[in-house]
Amino acid sequence: MTGLAPESDAALGPVRMALRAAAEKKAAELRDAARSQAEALLEAARAEAAGILAAAADEGEAAARSEAALRSARARREAHELVLAQHSSLRLELRRRVRDAAVGLTSDPRYPGLRARLTEQCRELLGPDATVSESPDGGVVAEAGSRRLDLSLPVLAGMTLDSMPGAGEPWSR
Amino acid sequence: MNHPEVTAKVSVSDAAGSLPLYSGFAAQISHGDVRELRGPLLVAGGIDGVGWDEFATIDMDGGERRHGLVLEVDRDLATLQVLESTDGMSLGGIRIRFEGRPLHVQVGTGWLGRVCNGRGEPLDGGPPVTGTATLPVSGWPLNPVYREPPQEPVLTGISVIDGLTTLVRGQKLPIFSVPGLPHLTLATQIAAQATSSGQSFRVVFAAMGLTHADIAYVRDRLEERSAEGELVLLLNAADDPVIERILTPRIALTIAEHLAYTEGHDVLVIMSDMTSYAEAVREVSAARREIPARRGYPGYLYSDLATLYERCGRVKGHDGSVTIVPVLTMPAGDITHPVPDLTGYITEGQIVLAPEIAARGIYPPVDVLSSLSRLMRSGAGKDRTREDHLDVAAQVLAAMARARQATELAELVGAAALSETDRSYIRYRKLVENGLFNQGRDEIRSLDDTLGRAWEALAALPEQELTMVSTTFLERYLPRRDDRP
Repeated sequence: MTGLAPESDAALGPVRMALRAAAEKKAAELRDAARSQAEALLEAARAEAAGILAAAADEGEAAARSEAALRSARARREAHELVLAQHSSLRLELRRRVRDAAVGLTSDPRYPGLRARLTEQCRELLGPDATVSESPDGGVVAEAGSRRLDLSLPVLAGMTLDSMPGAGEPWSR
Repeated sequence: MNHPEVTAKVSVSDAAGSLPLYSGFAAQISHGDVRELRGPLLVAGGIDGVGWDEFATIDMDGGERRHGLVLEVDRDLATLQVLESTDGMSLGGIRIRFEGRPLHVQVGTGWLGRVCNGRGEPLDGGPPVTGTATLPVSGWPLNPVYREPPQEPVLTGISVIDGLTTLVRGQKLPIFSVPGLPHLTLATQIAAQATSSGQSFRVVFAAMGLTHADIAYVRDRLEERSAEGELVLLLNAADDPVIERILTPRIALTIAEHLAYTEGHDVLVIMSDMTSYAEAVREVSAARREIPARRGYPGYLYSDLATLYERCGRVKGHDGSVTIVPVLTMPAGDITHPVPDLTGYITEGQIVLAPEIAARGIYPPVDVLSSLSRLMRSGAGKDRTREDHLDVAAQVLAAMARARQATELAELVGAAALSETDRSYIRYRKLVENGLFNQGRDEIRSLDDTLGRAWEALAALPEQELTMVSTTFLERYLPRRDDRP
């Protein structure tokens, strides 16, 4: 292997310098490009992350809003149902008291007249052959074949209550 | 609390007074001659003077009470359909009381805010609904001379409906859908959001044959309106008796008519799903052994549907109105199926939902080119909605038709081979579908917002293409852009 002549070193100096400078310049360009690309990528990634975050926040907010609306709707419904249940029990209580009070009317002086009229009504509706007997609760029960007419006092009281508009709504007074 | 005594005394003095004591006594006669129990049917003997469709109460031995409807009367035999089914009944120990008339309901404002089952019994734990009058659920036919033509819009806050198929007070506008599409969501959204200008607005929602999950959704979604006392909910679930399903829309309409013509409200009645209703009619018709017609439905299905749909409208001398939005699912998407077919004859237009639009993620998936509100001209435009409304709606639809052609062409030859105008139509279609039609399930849009979005989409087209809108409107409403072709 033969080395270069000692004087060639000096002659090749500028070439080496030029090659090195070109390589360094290229490296710097590459580095800059890489840096700016990395920055651009980072920027894009940050923007996307911000977008995703904002969308997620919006979605979460919407979900929370509808969940809150649902919960408040359910709470309101439960409250309303409590009020309605109270109305219902008041109404049942009124009916019960009316029926109980009706049973006690057998001692009323007008009761025998009422019973006679009820008997008459039974015969009119079921025919003259109907057997009419007094109900243990007061009033009468008539039977003719498979047909029966229950005009006992609690039944009459219930019918009267049904026919009175607003009477079934004790809470509204 | 001294009401019981007071009431009891009233009953004695009434009863002891003049004869006849009480006209309801005849309805107290109970019949014990039950001959047969067959499925939901009960045959009673020894019957005299009982009429077709009469309502009956069935008292059982244990004190339980059920209800029935007379399906058929043959000499002294009456066949009843038991609403709560005949489970647990035995031939002895049943007593039937015939009411002497078809089903009546009490009507009044007491219904508002209540949740009831398909025959009007409370589901919310409250007492039975009482009212100021008792009316037959089959309603009275309205003298055609007393009708007033529908006018003024009902705004639903849903762009595609308000903008292109405007609902009008007193109109009947069905939603045609296929199973699996969000028709119930749409119907519920309409029920939650609809308003009319000026008048007080009330909604009656009649659910027929819905699943329990759907019913829970409807209740949650409409809770706010219910709490405001603006809503009546009648819920007939899929596993509820079919005969009750036939009564549900009739009860809903009876309540609605009272709210509209006596109380003066604008009432919207949503009926979902009418196909379930028609199937109930078919089932009952088979039980009555009637001759089946098309696809097993009875021959009178048309007139039966008409007796429901024709109860909408406005009446001279009364403020209120009844608007009906029935929802029906077309089995297998078949628009010639008897239910959509016969409905289409009676109603004033239709809103058609399409699976391919739903597949593109657009809600509500309305196929605008198949949808139509025949009364839109009476309810939209100057002095009703906005001066440019009808023109814009016509232009949006015409452009949609052209856009559909352009899209089909682009699929064949590629978008690059199309003219610039055709490409602008394809851009327009995207804009109109995403900007105008697509909407949140609880989003309410004002009419101005809707029309603004329509103009925004139309701005994607070259101005010379906008031939259905007058130049005055173009100048006034078309968004100005530098890059406009």
